[in-house]
Amino acid sequence: MTGPERESPRDLAAAYALGALPPDEVRRFEAFLTTSPEARREVAEYREVAALLALGGTEAAPDGALRERVLARVGQEQQRDGTGAEPGRSAVAQARPSRAAWIALVASLLLAVGLCASLISARGRLGAMASELRAREALLAGTRQQLSARQAMLDALLEPGVEMFQLTAHGDPEPGIQLFWNRGRHLAVVHGFRLKPIPGGKAYQLWFIRDGVPVPSVTFRPASDGTASIERVPVPEGGVLTAAAVTVEPEAGSSRPTTPIVLTGTLERS
Amino acid sequence: MVNRSPVRLSPSADVTDGALVARAAGGDERALGLLYDRYGAVLYAVAYRVVGGRADAEEVVVDAFAQVWRDAPRFEAGRGSVAGWLTTIARSRALDLVRARSRRERAVGAAGAAADRQDAPPAMGDLLADPAASLDQDERRRQVRRALDGLSPSQRQAIELAYFEGLSQSEIAERLQQPLGTVKTRVRLGMEKLREALRPFYFERGT
Repeated sequence: MTGPERESPRDLAAAYALGALPPDEVRRFEAFLTTSPEARREVAEYREVAALLALGGTEAAPDGALRERVLARVGQEQQRDGTGAEPGRSAVAQARPSRAAWIALVASLLLAVGLCASLISARGRLGAMASELRAREALLAGTRQQLSARQAMLDALLEPGVEMFQLTAHGDPEPGIQLFWNRGRHLAVVHGFRLKPIPGGKAYQLWFIRDGVPVPSVTFRPASDGTASIERVPVPEGGVLTAAAVTVEPEAGSSRPTTPIVLTGTLERS
Repeated sequence: MVNRSPVRLSPSADVTDGALVARAAGGDERALGLLYDRYGAVLYAVAYRVVGGRADAEEVVVDAFAQVWRDAPRFEAGRGSVAGWLTTIARSRALDLVRARSRRERAVGAAGAAADRQDAPPAMGDLLADPAASLDQDERRRQVRRALDGLSPSQRQAIELAYFEGLSQSEIAERLQQPLGTVKTRVRLGMEKLREALRPFYFERGT
């Protein structure tokens, strides 16, 4: 048996199941598949093989909370569909009604007409409850997100080998920044406290001083209580990092400092 | 912290994957939960291999199950197993994410984008919610590793570049500076070997 491009189905089936054929070959091979049950069987089998490949790498297990996120998302999808009656779904969910079902349907409709008045008022109450439920769900989702952000920050801080450096303001004991540097990952967590408020359109910008030259990093604005927390700040690789500093810059950040340093600290081990 | 339930026999163990997809197609969210219990960890593993970070892998799994929910009415059992279908969806979503990220990085430059990839390592050791699936998975994992160890390094490399990086055979040939014919042969022979070794361990639970 021969297929497209004088290659046998066996030659192409494995690559097709792996997703390793270019689009034009995919089209030709799929046309060929419609004519060959044997090739379809081959592809189905190679898909099973491909599905197993994921188990060959590093053992990775999802967090237990992921199941809830999946189901919450599905709940949202269902809400978006109204009653879940998306065209294909309703076709499967509702079998062709029998005569008895028609009679039941007509009876239900008659009953529904009788109950219409009370339903209207019930609908109003249900609507209010649904709004409240949505508000509570949004609140819960926000809280979950905050919790998960806190957990991620805690995980980052507790990793072995993380070093903490202090950035302080010259002559002012109030504001400060703690910079937790994970050298292995070239990442830092930055936590500022008692930071002074800054005008709209401006932000604090962090700089890493590498080989004596300031390398621009993240910009951030303090919360109303003067704190700021930024996770996963990339730390430049290569060269020698001697210090970090903070200036006030336009909110979008600058490529080089345009104002005097407000906070600074060494990044060298004492 | 995650509470771990004591291991117990799953009441859903006798329900086929195909039946669960059909129930999901009919609007039964619990059926989708059971599919997650069986294959959530597998989809996560696919996503993690492709995107390389925990947060992104979780996002991919959520998106993949949302697509499963939407597409369940159109699932065709005759075209392959449910597990194959699920992993194909997760892989596509993961590759989409990587390609979108790559486009974004090209657009905004490399600064800061590396943070997306340098993620915490995967959480280890959480049991699957379906203990029967967890036991199956351990054995499968061992067999898959053994089968992959049975390939030549070049066969394994070609197959993994195709599946996890979404490269075509021509792109693999270009990446490895090898003739296209050589890459095609590696993919074909490698997959044949894997098929022989893994046939008893397919995910199929009957559709």
